Amino acid sequence: MAKVWLFMLISALITALIKDPSVAVAAMLGGAQNSVSLAMELVAMYGVWLGLFALLDKVGIADFIAKLLRPLIRFLFKGSSDEAQKYVSMNMSANLIGLGNAATPMGMKAVKLLGDEKESANTNVIMLVVISATSLQLLPTTVISMRAAHDSANAADFLLPCIVATVLSTVIGVVLVKICSKLFPDERRKS
Amino acid sequence: MTAYIVPAIFLVVLVASLIKKKDAYGSFIEGSRSAIDLMIGVFPYLMTIMMCVELFRRTGISNLVASLVAPVFELLGLPGQLAELMLLRPLSGAGSLAILDNIYATYGADTFVGRCASVIYGSSETVFYVSAIYLSQSKTKKLRYALPVALISTLIGCVVGCALLRFL
Repeated sequence: MAKVWLFMLISALITALIKDPSVAVAAMLGGAQNSVSLAMELVAMYGVWLGLFALLDKVGIADFIAKLLRPLIRFLFKGSSDEAQKYVSMNMSANLIGLGNAATPMGMKAVKLLGDEKESANTNVIMLVVISATSLQLLPTTVISMRAAHDSANAADFLLPCIVATVLSTVIGVVLVKICSKLFPDERRKS
Repeated sequence: MTAYIVPAIFLVVLVASLIKKKDAYGSFIEGSRSAIDLMIGVFPYLMTIMMCVELFRRTGISNLVASLVAPVFELLGLPGQLAELMLLRPLSGAGSLAILDNIYATYGADTFVGRCASVIYGSSETVFYVSAIYLSQSKTKKLRYALPVALISTLIGCVVGCALLRFL
């Protein structure tokens, strides 16, 4: 991320200086302002979803879902704690039903628990990031409604290839992580 | 369909808390308490990424880079017009959604380009954004091979999805 960020900013700033320097500050401040309004929306969403998660946890539904997904999660996340598995299962279920913003706070807590506070990510952290970053959402509601808004004759007719692409990318991601974890093993505890 | 899911989940949980005689009100408050703390950790990443993406788009450099890599995407069977979407999708959800809207307006939602764009946007995630945010609360900073793996898998998914579109 750091390199991508540096490349994007440097190339954009050079272009701005050559073409039209007045764009630069306006664009940077504009982006920053958008992030503030997005942050406000996200605080509200996190509040609601974390509240819901606390409820799910309290009445035992979170443990129940974690138990249902346990075989899968044990296979994907070797040697993770029960607590971490609970957050992972909530993260994955929220992603599956298309609540990416509800999945985020669970993902952050899961990474914290899986990562052992070490600087270098272990296989479990990498697995969670790859699974989330290759998208689990089976029903892309935003795209369907946007196509409908653009007068599509059949707004959902891309769904089958889309689901194939979603599932395929996640499966390939998982397989690649499993292979890479053999090729580049995690650091030993004491290093 | 999805409109029913969240209210239904809430209802089930609230009824369950009544049956089990748990304090739903108190636990909801406890849960939502961490929202602001979480955002304090997330916000710097949000701002840093969004500022960069906006500048990258507004200076027109994203268009330029897109036209440079378009032949590569053409080789893989993806329409070259979608190169900018492919480039920005991993970085910013809002930014790439604006591009998707633009593609529908320019080429139409039912054309091959429009349907390909739908598959690409619908089957992928904001790879860089998700990984930055997920790590924001933890001391873990080095992701090792996670990003290349996620990007390659996403690309393969998109290529196969768009190839399928030719037959369906």
